[in-house]
Amino acid sequence: MEDPSPNPVNDGARPAPSINAAPVPGESRALAFGIAGWLLPGLGHALQRMWGRAVVVFLAVGLLVFAGASMKGNVFTRQGSDAFDTLGYIADLGTGSFYLFARAIETSGADVSHADGDYGTRLLATAGVLNLLAALHAYEAARGHKA
Amino acid sequence: MTVVHPLDLTHFQAFLLFAVVISVAFGFLGRRRPKDRMKYILWSFFLFLLVGIGVGWAMFPFSR
Repeated sequence: MEDPSPNPVNDGARPAPSINAAPVPGESRALAFGIAGWLLPGLGHALQRMWGRAVVVFLAVGLLVFAGASMKGNVFTRQGSDAFDTLGYIADLGTGSFYLFARAIETSGADVSHADGDYGTRLLATAGVLNLLAALHAYEAARGHKA
Repeated sequence: MTVVHPLDLTHFQAFLLFAVVISVAFGFLGRRRPKDRMKYILWSFFLFLLVGIGVGWAMFPFSR
């Protein structure tokens, strides 16, 4: 009959898993690519010589940010009044350095009293989430999990 | 100071912009071979249009 114990004793045939295993160098490199991709859209892929993806991510995020800010969408700031503002701020921060670009374009402030401004807010949030997805893809690609 | 004039897009134009950009980005991120990318881009763009217009029509009776 099999031992029902959920934690069988290691008999020494296999090395015990280390709880405090240090990250392998490849992991740090992948993390650096992911962060680079977040800071500048497409950079995480460009560093891995995935030129097509890098260009498309850069242009897609840039176009969405430009359109969103030009349509007077709401570029959320840290001083949000409720949870939705905070979520919007997190989504907008997903664009990395393009967040500053959006703030620079929208000098006269948001105008969400019209549908255009509301659409702009959505486009800005979409740009942020898309860039986070692309940064995650760059991270996974560097780990060899996706290509 | 550079002044950027506000974009004046109709609902449908904004919707098309969103669908095109996201379809292309998803196609490039999700597929590797050019042929697969093109199929994915066209298919996801078609689905964006279908769902967007379908939801629009579904909301029409409650619009006024």
